[in-house]
Amino acid sequence: MDEGLIPSPLIRDDEVFLRMNFAERLQHILLIVTFTTLILTGLPLVLYEMKIFKALFAFEKAFYIRGIVHRVAAVLMIANILWHIAYTIFTPRGRSNFRELMPGWKDAKDAFQVFWHNIGLTGFLYKRGLFKAFFEKHPYWLFKNEPEFGRYNFIEKFEYIGVAWGSLVMIASGFFMWNVELSLRLFPLWVHDIFIIIHGYEAILAFLTIIIWHMYNVHLNPEVFPMSKVWLNGKITGHELRTLHPLEYKKIAAERAARAAARK
Amino acid sequence: MNVRALSRSALLAVVLGLGAASAGLASSNDDCLTCHGDKDLKSGAGASMFVDAEKFAASIHGQAEIACVDCHADLAKVKDFPHAEKLKPVDCSACHDQEAAQLRASVHLQPHRAENPIVVTCADCHGTHDIRKKDDSESSVFSINIPDTCNKCHLERVKIRNGSGFVQQYLQSAHFKALRKAGLSMSANCVTCHGGHDVKAARDPQSRVSRKSIIETCGRCHVGIKKDYLEGVHGKDYLKGIKDVPVCTDCHSEHGILSPTDPGSVVYATRVADVCSRCHDDERLGRQYGFLTSRLKTYAASYHGTASKFGETRVANCASCHGFHDIRTSSDPKSPIYAANLAATCGKCHPGAGVNFAKGKIHVVSAKTESQGSHVAKLIYIVIIGGLISVFLLFIASDLFYRIRTRWTKA
Repeated sequence: MDEGLIPSPLIRDDEVFLRMNFAERLQHILLIVTFTTLILTGLPLVLYEMKIFKALFAFEKAFYIRGIVHRVAAVLMIANILWHIAYTIFTPRGRSNFRELMPGWKDAKDAFQVFWHNIGLTGFLYKRGLFKAFFEKHPYWLFKNEPEFGRYNFIEKFEYIGVAWGSLVMIASGFFMWNVELSLRLFPLWVHDIFIIIHGYEAILAFLTIIIWHMYNVHLNPEVFPMSKVWLNGKITGHELRTLHPLEYKKIAAERAARAAARK
Repeated sequence: MNVRALSRSALLAVVLGLGAASAGLASSNDDCLTCHGDKDLKSGAGASMFVDAEKFAASIHGQAEIACVDCHADLAKVKDFPHAEKLKPVDCSACHDQEAAQLRASVHLQPHRAENPIVVTCADCHGTHDIRKKDDSESSVFSINIPDTCNKCHLERVKIRNGSGFVQQYLQSAHFKALRKAGLSMSANCVTCHGGHDVKAARDPQSRVSRKSIIETCGRCHVGIKKDYLEGVHGKDYLKGIKDVPVCTDCHSEHGILSPTDPGSVVYATRVADVCSRCHDDERLGRQYGFLTSRLKTYAASYHGTASKFGETRVANCASCHGFHDIRTSSDPKSPIYAANLAATCGKCHPGAGVNFAKGKIHVVSAKTESQGSHVAKLIYIVIIGGLISVFLLFIASDLFYRIRTRWTKA
């Protein structure tokens, strides 16, 4: 990993910052629990052809209980989301997080830059003396450095928006699946069929995204392996802030500098 | 009193008259019992020759005061006792000529197995000296006792085409439970379906359980069901003589018939789809008779089918929407799946189901042509999922590549 910015004298590397407060951690844990429950009780219906799921419903009332558990988890997840929305609207920290999470043009550029920085193709070409004139004129295309991230990088922003979008789709389609009679008073059967398709496929998308993308970024990534502990203790060190979230680091340093100047 | 019974009682009167007339000449029962009343009387081969006078007196022949020599006819004129050891077998047909004729034509008297013919005679089922009327609860042929009588041979000794376990299934059936647990003597026992003296092999078209007769046989008790069946598509085709059409036993099994509410039943809520799909997922039958196939496949893909597969009994199965004994085509206005009846049919489970329930397809064989909305939704998702997961994997690969690459350059 790059050593990143030159350390600011105002922030010690071993200084501890709060990245996720208790409420945010609890929201995240609730999301994990409800999401996992929903996946476990829902996926067998999507992948009904797989024999292993048959074993899950070994006893007579098992499938009936599955339905109850799935709905209870759904209600809990919705309650959690409502809490999160209220938290985002009514607390200064929530509002600040939300502003930081809004994606911009920079995030698309960051993703592009990270990818080519990782691949290092242009640097390799340059070293071999190919397109030398072009790269000297436009050094951006060498992707020599990683982009600098703010409090949330493009991965985290993408995941946040993904959860928001996924929840919206799942709640809407799930609501009509729960209330079949209502759904079919409002829509023809073929529209209701689409709700079922959407609910199933969106679940697969969410499941794969969590399993592949989120699990890599917070668990398997050699940077954090075996696990980033932020979700448990909410803490991030000055050093981590400086290397992983340099823009946030700079912002804090600037704030402290301004405060120090004001005191004088 | 019908003609047959009348002629039988006339015959009995003649026999009794003869018996009375010859009483002075032939040996009386008491003469026989002086020897045969001895419990220890044995034949040369060691078999007991004891005749229980009390049991005989209680038997139908004893009550009718039929003499020993009326049946053991070759002793009627014998004066020297003890008589010869080897006697002629008793011939019941002298009185019971119709039953004997039926028995001769039945599977029990036909040497149907060349290499080990088992011949069943009157005594094997009815007993000998202790024969009782068939409506006497002590009788070996009383309806509740019939299974034991038949099973003396049919559980093990007799090998039938479907194996001996085939008959044994009856002991788990709803019919047997009704007979034995509930004591309902009118419940189906072996004879009810197979006939008594005229029992024939099921493959024999003359048999009461052949395809030709089974509807009639079951319908003797299940009258309303027979009527429903004959009004439905299956029954109508059955009457046309179509061989592939299911009869009672094709769906309900034969000996092991259980109540549809019994989880072991082949027509239990979660299992009935397997029964129907034997024909309705069969491409060959579908082509031959012009019905749609892939019914189970398409049912399994629906919530109803998935839930049913996982053991949920409250969801709709084939019979919930299509009915069962009187299944009709969707073009029949009496069919529960006739377009105008769908709201009512779906409404059985979904209260207030309206016309929207009919605006879509239930058994979707090809989403592309029959359910475009779902098809497009699926396609969009497949593209999104495929695209996103590819991007994720590409990014992860690039990240790992970077780490390996920089480690090399550092080393």
